[in-house]
Amino acid sequence: MEKVVVTGVGMVTSLGGTPTQTYRALLDGCSGICPISDFDTRGFACRMGAQVPAIDPREVVINPRDARIMGIQGLMLIKASRDAFADANLNRYPVNGESMGLFIGMGMVDYNLDDLLPAVQASLNSDGTINNEAFFSRGYGEIYPLWPLSLLSNMALCQVAIRLGIKGENAVFAAYGDAGAKAIHEGVNTIMEGKAEAVLAGGVSEIISPLSLARNLSLELLNIDRSLNCNACIPFNSEGKGTILGEGCGVMLLESHSSAEKRGARALAEVSGFGSAFERGGEKAWPTTPAVQKAMESSMINAGVDPACVDLIIAHGEGTAGDNNEKDAICRCFSVADRTIDVYASKGALGNLFAASPVVDAILGIQMMENGVVPPAYPDHSTKNPMPFNLICHESLRKRPECILINTRSHQGHCGSLVITACREKRV
Amino acid sequence: MGKKAFKRRVVITGYGMITPSGRNAADTFNSCSQGKSGINHITAFDATGLPCQVAGQVNDKWISDDGFTHRRLLKFSSRGLKLMSIAAREAAFHAELPTVSDRHRIGVQIGSYGEDPSLEEVVWLHQFYDGEGHWDLEGLAREGGYNFLRFYRRKPDMVSAVIARLFDCRGPNLSSTSACAAGAQAIGEAFRIIQDGQCDVMIAGGCESALNLVGLLGFVLLGAVTTRYETPQTASRPFDRKRNGFVLSEGAGALVLEDFEHASHRGAPIQGEILGYGSSSDAYRITDSDPRGDGAILAMGKAISDAGLSPEKIQYINAHGTSTLKNDISETRAIDAVFGPNAKKIPVSSNKSMLGHCIAAAGPIELILTLMGIHRSLILPTINQTHPDPKCDLWLVPNQAVREAHSVAICNSFGFGGQNGCLCIGKPR
Repeated sequence: MEKVVVTGVGMVTSLGGTPTQTYRALLDGCSGICPISDFDTRGFACRMGAQVPAIDPREVVINPRDARIMGIQGLMLIKASRDAFADANLNRYPVNGESMGLFIGMGMVDYNLDDLLPAVQASLNSDGTINNEAFFSRGYGEIYPLWPLSLLSNMALCQVAIRLGIKGENAVFAAYGDAGAKAIHEGVNTIMEGKAEAVLAGGVSEIISPLSLARNLSLELLNIDRSLNCNACIPFNSEGKGTILGEGCGVMLLESHSSAEKRGARALAEVSGFGSAFERGGEKAWPTTPAVQKAMESSMINAGVDPACVDLIIAHGEGTAGDNNEKDAICRCFSVADRTIDVYASKGALGNLFAASPVVDAILGIQMMENGVVPPAYPDHSTKNPMPFNLICHESLRKRPECILINTRSHQGHCGSLVITACREKRV
Repeated sequence: MGKKAFKRRVVITGYGMITPSGRNAADTFNSCSQGKSGINHITAFDATGLPCQVAGQVNDKWISDDGFTHRRLLKFSSRGLKLMSIAAREAAFHAELPTVSDRHRIGVQIGSYGEDPSLEEVVWLHQFYDGEGHWDLEGLAREGGYNFLRFYRRKPDMVSAVIARLFDCRGPNLSSTSACAAGAQAIGEAFRIIQDGQCDVMIAGGCESALNLVGLLGFVLLGAVTTRYETPQTASRPFDRKRNGFVLSEGAGALVLEDFEHASHRGAPIQGEILGYGSSSDAYRITDSDPRGDGAILAMGKAISDAGLSPEKIQYINAHGTSTLKNDISETRAIDAVFGPNAKKIPVSSNKSMLGHCIAAAGPIELILTLMGIHRSLILPTINQTHPDPKCDLWLVPNQAVREAHSVAICNSFGFGGQNGCLCIGKPR
């Protein structure tokens, strides 16, 4: 049976511009969560976030004029995609663009009030209402003509397709963790069905902006306890205090085992299973325990592994009360295995990356397989949180996982799980 | 993930739509079969000053009459979501969806965007913002604050989540956001989810309602909509020499896709079969489609080969045909390249000549109209064909529907930015 393997990765997070940088920083106990610096957060109940430092468009070979309609989401995706390409050695051993696929889970794309503000200001009546005549004679001209493109969720994908010459099968899914996991799964399927030789699959987070902060606050998702500073996002905390927004992007280059072999490419891991489910629980929009359990079980069945084979779970663990359902689902899935399963969660340090989360987690999982160390889920030693499983916190764990299950979910009831397994022979 | 020894067959057991031309699939098809345009002057908002003042609006009464009575969900619903729920209800009714017992095996995949920011919203917000990153949030709160329901209406995952709740679907649930190809790609992805055995039934489709000042303004700024027309009804003229842009419309289309065995076992009405799907990207320019039509050629070729067919088996092409100068030429070139000498003999028509461009809903609506045409042996026309363009020299079924038996067709959808989707459908084999 043909396996689909990862042969290249690219990643941008608040802790670094490459997978290694982020992984090393996590091992060192660093957190990317800090006070938001891009805009004035006074008045917002939550003022913390894990922001990605500005990316110079020239660094990713983008004309600053083109960068105007891209935003940070587009730049992150282009950088991570280029890095995954280079990591897979596709720069030297290219695949025909028509045989390359591109599947992306795209976080919510917000509009920027600054883009429309000059038009509004030039068109106001004295009573504060808009003057249509002024708007169409003066105001309207103040809007950058390509501004509408910045509202479209598929622009980042199209920019990558243009820059890397990818012409094959593609899709963009929105807007939360399930979308990123689905992008990877769809990439794997496309290769298995022989519809592409190689696929770039990834996810992009939301951008931390006044609008995203306000939206997530109004959905009561964020931790507003300002005393916690960089430890504000605590996966599986008993009070369900809330999550913290993060920015980031992860991309992996997938190809069939035989294609990797033919190119002499390095197989980093095999993507072996996927499962998903949908069920909202009560007033709060988290997926229910049975839904999370269903997604986890389906992914293991799809991968042909039983719970005893899974030696690490990278949980969604975002710090909200929804973690309780995940905790219960993990217990239900792994109670038969007669052991305490090791669980890691990255959001304590990277924030909640939404659509990028499962991809970033999968790439971190590959780093753990390669380096034999699992970083701590939260470095702060004062955080005490007894769990029914072994949540790796405070100290890193020396362990080389062979089979990792990755969970993800939305805030509407969607959930998904991925299984990745180590490739025994590194160079296939 | 095991490679399947064989792929499951995917059939259509229900469909529904709401468009500018009709409150359901039958009304829309009847209107289109008479070559009637659903385009009119914009009344949804004051378009004075805009260079384009025509659009395809869905009659408000059709929405209010619908009895979408889930009051709590109504508050969270954008107009697009309301349209989608109407289309999905029609599809679910025809497919007898309530009789499916295992709800975990029913999924939802919808092509949709959230609601556009309104100009009123921007004007309101600007009072509390200095343009340099500082907000007067206390002032905003004093004045009543920001309506948090708008946040929900802007979320692209709301439609698929609410449809899943309304119809109790607990399987895979996804939103596609690939611009004008979103609806077609949603159907294509749903088709594959059933083929793979991840679930047995999917509600798939797309919805769109961008008929507001900011929505239309966006397309005006991009130079995509028509600005020169004599009457609203003649504004959308795909492939005609006098075309100069598309007409923005709203609507929704929904299909119930189902594993053939599953549908047969429960005695569901099998309306048609999805035979193949292909997607591609132009990888050309962000603002223009590839003039050679390479992306379109690839998508059509993949859909036809995915169906296990050769191009000569295709008996009708439902074109993307937007009525823009560039799309219609590049699509003609692509059809020429895929179908060779047969290209001029295959009927090709654009429903957008009558319905306008429903963006994310266009793919599903056009696929359903194609299926209805197959059943009725009727090929819908491309209206407003008065000045033939020698560069678009296909058999465009000009102005009047043609009665012709046909059983296999493809439907094209090409998205802004260069994402393409093509679906191949037919009578159940």
